[in-house]
Amino acid sequence: MAPSHGDGPFAHRQHALLLKRVLFFGGKGGVGKTTCASAVALAASREGKRVLLVSTDPAHSTSDIFGTPFEADEREIHPRLYGLEVDANLEARRYIDNAKAGIARMFSPAVAKEAGRQIELASSMPGVEEVALFDRIGDLIVDRFDAYDLLIFDTAPTGHTLRLLRMPELVSAWITALSKRRRALLALNQDIDQVRLAPEAINPDEDPILKTLDARREKLEQVRARLMQHNFTGFVLVVVPERLPIEETVRAAAILAESNVNVCEIVVNRVLPEDVDGGFYRSRRAQEQVYIDEIKRRFAMYPLAWVPQLPTDVHGLENLERVSAVLMGVPSS
Amino acid sequence: MDWKELKQNFGDFVHGYFVSEYERKLREQFVDLNDLFMLQCFMELVGLPNPAAIYLLDVYPFFLEEFHTWHRRMGMDRSPIGSMPCC
Repeated sequence: MAPSHGDGPFAHRQHALLLKRVLFFGGKGGVGKTTCASAVALAASREGKRVLLVSTDPAHSTSDIFGTPFEADEREIHPRLYGLEVDANLEARRYIDNAKAGIARMFSPAVAKEAGRQIELASSMPGVEEVALFDRIGDLIVDRFDAYDLLIFDTAPTGHTLRLLRMPELVSAWITALSKRRRALLALNQDIDQVRLAPEAINPDEDPILKTLDARREKLEQVRARLMQHNFTGFVLVVVPERLPIEETVRAAAILAESNVNVCEIVVNRVLPEDVDGGFYRSRRAQEQVYIDEIKRRFAMYPLAWVPQLPTDVHGLENLERVSAVLMGVPSS
Repeated sequence: MDWKELKQNFGDFVHGYFVSEYERKLREQFVDLNDLFMLQCFMELVGLPNPAAIYLLDVYPFFLEEFHTWHRRMGMDRSPIGSMPCC
């Protein structure tokens, strides 16, 4: 049986990150988002939490780290640590198949066949995968929230993720506008009915279009609300002490703040350890110090975590544990 | 035809005249609003991005009839997009 919360070895000082219910890990490509997300997931599971680690990266890097494939359905990867990989392509497919099934139910097979062919084309439109991906993330946040103590999303590189987080705002505004128009239309139709004394208008409460639109909007709003719940949801930005990642992270933090998403920690990954020697490393460290100072200055308002460069790549649990210990503030053994 | 009937007929005529005028206005407005609604649902058609495109797949089936009258009125004899296969 899984121990209840707080029985873990670090219970006396549970890390702030582990108090959240939903964590997103973001950052420029290749800075170690997946490593950090996996490390925190591992730490949380060690503390007795049920954790779902969701990889949205098509590069399968999570599977690499744990040495076991992440599949489309959630699966226990490690005790109490469940993993799944969201395949945007597959999600788009699933969504489109649903839409096709809807058409097939309502129209003759010939029509449905023709429609199906064209919907196929629509599925390759840019943006469809993004929406499908977001949809899945939203489903997980809303529907699996109660099944786990912590949901961790290892996201794709920054720009993409930020668009993703702002999407509910945009799409729900759009759908709101559509639903308002539809309502006005139906109201007008009812006015016409009154004049003609021959009812033919659709009752707004029974209009399938309005119903579908409103259901969509409601769900988007639900996801949006949860994303902005600061006590539940946090965004961890991962950065390495180099110029471009710093710039990108500053931008990301600003956009997240603007969207009212809580940035709860900045992880500075791959910091050169102090005990490296040789002229080359001394020079690199001096250079790095400039960036480290810059990070301290520009991210002064966020909690910072420092993860040293490891002698080998993070593959397998052993190295992951080291990162995990560092992130949780436990001196590595 | 007595005077009362004549009055009644005249009354009906005037009533009908103004009501039909009113109805015409309403219908015009309805058509305009509907066009705008359709445009917002099918922005891809005019080459504009539609942020909710994939979510609208949900409602496409319900649109078929309205879409048909719309594209006919817009001077397109046949359905301009195949995913709305009305004709």
